[in-house]
Amino acid sequence: MLRHLLKLIWNKKGSHSLLIIEIWASFMVLFGVLSLIVYNLNNYLEPIGFEYKNVWVVDLNNNQDTTAIAEKTTQIMQRIRSYPQVASASRMSSNTPFSANTMNNSTNYQKISSMADDYYTDEEFSKTLDLPLTAGRWYLPEDRVSKSTPVVINKKLQEKLFGDENPLGKVLGNNDSESEGNQKTTFRVVGVVDKFKAKGEFMLDNPAIFKLMDKNDKWNKLVLIKTKAGTDATFEERLVKDIAAMAPGWGIEVSYLTESRKNRHNLTLVPVIIFLIISGFLLTNVALGLFGILNLGIARRRSEIGLRRAMGATEGSVTAQFLGEMWVLAAFSVILGLLFAVQFPIMNVFDIAAGVYLTAIAAAIVVIFVIVTLCAWYPSRQAARVQPALALHEE
Amino acid sequence: MISNYLKLTWKVLLRHPFYTFITLFGITLTLTVLMVLTSFLDHLLGTHYPETKRDRSLYITRLVQKDTTHQGRNMGPMSFAFLKDYVKSLKTPENVGIATIFGFANTYVNGKRIKLNTKYTDADFWRVTEFDFVDGKPYTERNIDNGDHVAVITDDLRRQYFEDDEASVVGKFIDIESIKYRVIGVVKGSPVTRPYTYGDVYFPYTAPKSNYQDKGFRGRYLAIVLAKDKRDFPAIRTEYASNVGKIPLPQTDGGFTFHEMTTEANPYLEDFASVFLDGSRTTIVYSIIGFLMLMLMGLPAINLVNVNVSRIMERASEIGVRKAFGAPAKALLWQFIIENIFITLIGGMFALSLSFLIIQLINNSGWIPYADLTINFSVFAASIAVCLVFGLLSGVLPAYRMSKLKIVDALKS
Repeated sequence: MLRHLLKLIWNKKGSHSLLIIEIWASFMVLFGVLSLIVYNLNNYLEPIGFEYKNVWVVDLNNNQDTTAIAEKTTQIMQRIRSYPQVASASRMSSNTPFSANTMNNSTNYQKISSMADDYYTDEEFSKTLDLPLTAGRWYLPEDRVSKSTPVVINKKLQEKLFGDENPLGKVLGNNDSESEGNQKTTFRVVGVVDKFKAKGEFMLDNPAIFKLMDKNDKWNKLVLIKTKAGTDATFEERLVKDIAAMAPGWGIEVSYLTESRKNRHNLTLVPVIIFLIISGFLLTNVALGLFGILNLGIARRRSEIGLRRAMGATEGSVTAQFLGEMWVLAAFSVILGLLFAVQFPIMNVFDIAAGVYLTAIAAAIVVIFVIVTLCAWYPSRQAARVQPALALHEE
Repeated sequence: MISNYLKLTWKVLLRHPFYTFITLFGITLTLTVLMVLTSFLDHLLGTHYPETKRDRSLYITRLVQKDTTHQGRNMGPMSFAFLKDYVKSLKTPENVGIATIFGFANTYVNGKRIKLNTKYTDADFWRVTEFDFVDGKPYTERNIDNGDHVAVITDDLRRQYFEDDEASVVGKFIDIESIKYRVIGVVKGSPVTRPYTYGDVYFPYTAPKSNYQDKGFRGRYLAIVLAKDKRDFPAIRTEYASNVGKIPLPQTDGGFTFHEMTTEANPYLEDFASVFLDGSRTTIVYSIIGFLMLMLMGLPAINLVNVNVSRIMERASEIGVRKAFGAPAKALLWQFIIENIFITLIGGMFALSLSFLIIQLINNSGWIPYADLTINFSVFAASIAVCLVFGLLSGVLPAYRMSKLKIVDALKS
């Protein structure tokens, strides 16, 4: 059967090669778009690990004021925590959730080292963002006196550095040569959190490490505030006024995590939607074209069909022949496409896990065969309904 | 004669509405995607309000500092002091405007919060750009020297803050982060896609919180250099390079010691590209994007060729009959050419109205506030030409070959 089909295809190699190119090109486009979708969907299905509702970010900027920055920041923090509307507040480095800023650094345990997102926070952080700990505890004020900086790591980093070992109490080093004077360079793990996808649902679950911020830190002046439900802009206005009175000349910028999350998501979603719409139209175009070409081809092969029917072929076997021809053609194109597509996981383009590409390849193959089958089905059925007597009579 | 061909074409098109539809669909789709894409690129990169002098402007937006081992690198906009010393002093340009990259601030009115994009600029900023002043006027060197707390706001902010679209607000005060600014002018806003001029509120650089006093090289300021003529670009770039070359190296800036410093005055397109083209992996990224675009455009073309080639056989008997009744090959050729031009033009018309609709939709959706996308007719003409070439190659060439067939052979099929 297959050999017969191949022979039939070879007989019309001219027009079939055009068809193969068309299906191959559709496969490549599908592969590209599906890789994008699978990658984002994969990430989306993993929870972000923290609660962002009712959390505000206050960005303080001391501008030209250079005196007693640390003291003023501490005072402002105390003031913020004293409001009845504030459930909890925490200082953080500039890479707040959903912001465009990232910081990463390599961290090592004995000989194993791994890149990890670096977050400098204080004792209240896990409470402010409802970040649950799977082992150990969040760092406490008492930890400040210890020789090495207390840190909390996420599960991903734990797997990378420790494997099955218990990470609690272990001391990590920092490969960074330029250690700033007031920062301690060893880190003691006090707790483990499950996930912290700071850039939102579409972010990859990267290794992360939370380091306790120095008490006199002058640089990281962002404050996360968890407000009680029902707090509105009136309180926000008061907060800004009060801080402005405590630190004249400082810039105070308030944003909501819910809003920055939406902006962050749009950055991912808008390109995906545009690609989806365009490739949707493209595939419709290709499907219509395929349908038209097959229809024409079958009209031209009426006599052949008539002969086969007269020789005793059933309706089913005629349908199968035409569907089979298309499938063989599609398989050719897909194999050709695979030669290109497998380069992506092999060359590790874009640093995306191979599984994403493989899923996308599988999905693209399925979609191509579904489209080809749908387009070939109706013409094949029509071919099967050809009356042998009529077809042979025309001849 | 022509009208005869047109009538014939019309009949042929209607004979198989389904195939006509496929062809039209392909042409319309390709053209629409091309048009919307180019109009968006033009919106991003072309010369539009308020940067109506962008074609003769150079942008100085980045300073890169590297240490000898190339381990450490600092990159970003410059400080006001740097621009004042090395850019404002340029002799060749007509004018130099200085502004910050955007910053943020909040203002509150009636328990509602308005998020603001702020910009600190000098007085020349208003001369290198061409903002439409709906009300009032820009601040001048006098306001700057006095350190006046004045602000230019956009019409959108006027509507939100003063909740009144008609009355003049010049002289009224706007309270931003507990500082009262006197509104001195109202401009028609700029779209967010022009980051160097976009803002909701503009302050003179001597207003509070602008940090123009910073002494280092890097900061939050950038410069727009307006040349008298496009031909002065090389001269300005050389002059700027020699100005910067006078800075002794190595130096320490903000705790970072650097031995190399690069900064360039670039036309907008290059400036825009350099933001994205940074890093070594970009060639891969761009070849993949290019490949994808080629696919997107190539697929409908292949489809068009495919459908046309398959349909030729269907026309064989028609050609045979016409030849049998004495039509010369030339007449047949003309028929196919006109048929192809006709269908491409119909597709073009659809594409034009469709892209017009999409562009209107983008402009009015508020997706990009103040968006002003327009249809680029030269791109339209070029893409119509490409479609024609494909149509002619795939439709006319096989038809022409067929018209040379012997009548008997043509009629037989």
